[in-house]
Amino acid sequence: MTIMRLSHVEIRVPDLELATAYYTEVLGLYETAREPERVFLKCWDEHQHHSVVLSFAPTYGLEHFGFKVDEPGDLDLYQAKLEAEGVAVTRYAKGEWGPGHGEAIRFNLPGGHEMELVYDMQQIGNLLPLLNPPPKPMGLVGIAPPRIDHLFLTLEDVALNTAFLQDVLGFHLTEQVVGDDGYQIATWLEVSHSSHDIALITGPNAGFHHVAFWVDDWNELRIAADLLAYNGVTMETNPTRHGATRGYCLYFFDPAGNRNEVYTGGYYTDPDTAPTTWTEGEMGRALFAYDGVVKQQFLTVHT
Amino acid sequence: MGVLRLSHVDVQVTDLDLATAYYTEVIGMLEVERDDTSVYLKCWDEVDHHSLRLEYAPRLGFRGMTYKVEREDDLSDLENKITRYGFPVQRISKGESVGQGESIRFATPTGHTMDLVYDVEKVGSALPKVNPPVYVDGLSGIAPPRMDHLLVTAEEVGESAKFFQDVMGFRLTEQLLDGDGHQMAVWMERSHRPHDLAFVRGPNGGLHHFAYWLDDWDHVRRSADILAYNGISVDAGPTRHGITRGNTIYFFDPLGTRNEVFTGGYRPDVDFPTITWTEENLGRAIFYYEGVPNERFMRVHT
Repeated sequence: MTIMRLSHVEIRVPDLELATAYYTEVLGLYETAREPERVFLKCWDEHQHHSVVLSFAPTYGLEHFGFKVDEPGDLDLYQAKLEAEGVAVTRYAKGEWGPGHGEAIRFNLPGGHEMELVYDMQQIGNLLPLLNPPPKPMGLVGIAPPRIDHLFLTLEDVALNTAFLQDVLGFHLTEQVVGDDGYQIATWLEVSHSSHDIALITGPNAGFHHVAFWVDDWNELRIAADLLAYNGVTMETNPTRHGATRGYCLYFFDPAGNRNEVYTGGYYTDPDTAPTTWTEGEMGRALFAYDGVVKQQFLTVHT
Repeated sequence: MGVLRLSHVDVQVTDLDLATAYYTEVIGMLEVERDDTSVYLKCWDEVDHHSLRLEYAPRLGFRGMTYKVEREDDLSDLENKITRYGFPVQRISKGESVGQGESIRFATPTGHTMDLVYDVEKVGSALPKVNPPVYVDGLSGIAPPRMDHLLVTAEEVGESAKFFQDVMGFRLTEQLLDGDGHQMAVWMERSHRPHDLAFVRGPNGGLHHFAYWLDDWDHVRRSADILAYNGISVDAGPTRHGITRGNTIYFFDPLGTRNEVFTGGYRPDVDFPTITWTEENLGRAIFYYEGVPNERFMRVHT
């Protein structure tokens, strides 16, 4: 009876063919459905129909993102909660929004991002059989992350949006950067016992900072960096480590300019674990623990 | 809501000082508290009071397992469900057991003592809550960040699986079926991991092993180095499981209780379709690289 995890992102791209080639051959996702202006993709170990949707648009950025809920009644429950808060909710029947899509509700966060809660997306299976499976499929292409992990948004009022995610949607705050004026500069929140499923940082409303894909371990980040360099993809950082979340990370850009991350590590957290706080002076180390300086590009470039 | 994860394991040891030396110096847990008969230990990244209790007894054995629930009313909810299923449930008040909050205790259908606890005393992890470093310096031994799961033995695995699914709300991620289609072993989860609790055929009330979580495969390699350096008896590994897809080493503490270090696996949703293994694939199901389990792994338990 809760929100379970990040389900999918819909990303705007001005060149659908180029973006699809990148997401399938360099990142290594699988195409599961295609329409004239949309391509549906999933990671190899995901069972659901799609976790990334590329939508043709004259620009880049995040069109919407969805979280998966546990039970059919959750959509009614959250719709009622949202409407009680004065938030307008749009409802989609199963399959209405797109191929394989589940029943869903859509609404806007205070920061202007379009968020969805989805139930019962079509299950198409991962790339392994359910009887006596090998631990890994052979012949994977590109980085081939097993699954989507989290996303990071920019908005003007981090505190307001964090409170909304906590109070209305039941997210737990795991970490925060607090400015010298006492105001939240960035926050990390979870629903799946991981160090974060979503994070927010001060910037323009409705901005998309990045979407992250999970990889097995630090060694996979090295292999990912090799693949990205080979394919001429712009990397923003070397393989490095976050202070906040303690995760290992590598940032790079898709051909449209949307930032991607591959991520691993972090920690398991209980719902009753107290959040970790970073002070403004330590913000550099909160973001990149090895460098310890605030990278201006990382803070200012978004889509 | 409901059961969150494994909270702690209680084992009997015949030499409290030797066991404590091993669990603090080779495994690298931290001693939290000690009384005349027991030592309470936790892993460095754990916030709760303890994840392992060593209790002196004239013979080794498994005292019980405790799982943490998310909300206070989960205790009464599960108390009702377990009672309705026909098992007596005992209430334990906050503080009655060292470091523990309000709890319920009952015997499972396979004779294991199980506690469910809410509001465990928090002693904090080894890191500060303001501007923490990413790493704790000076940890001894393997230093796993936390406890992960346990595997217990049961005569009727199918009956246990049914109880844990129907009454306790666990989800079946994987099962091993014999030639007659009966469950020989089951893996079940509550925390979106391949398993929080597993059952394998064997005597009722037995413990096969408990497992610590490690960061990655490289941490598994370093653990093998540390175990070999300390002359610890390794049972199997470093290797990989077919079931759970995790990377692993099995070994014995100096008194004979089996330990595991584990990493990897996958992240199942609540609607994850159960994976089935058939008996003729048992070897690869257990040790994917070897393809055959060793006899000791199949027979030795405490």
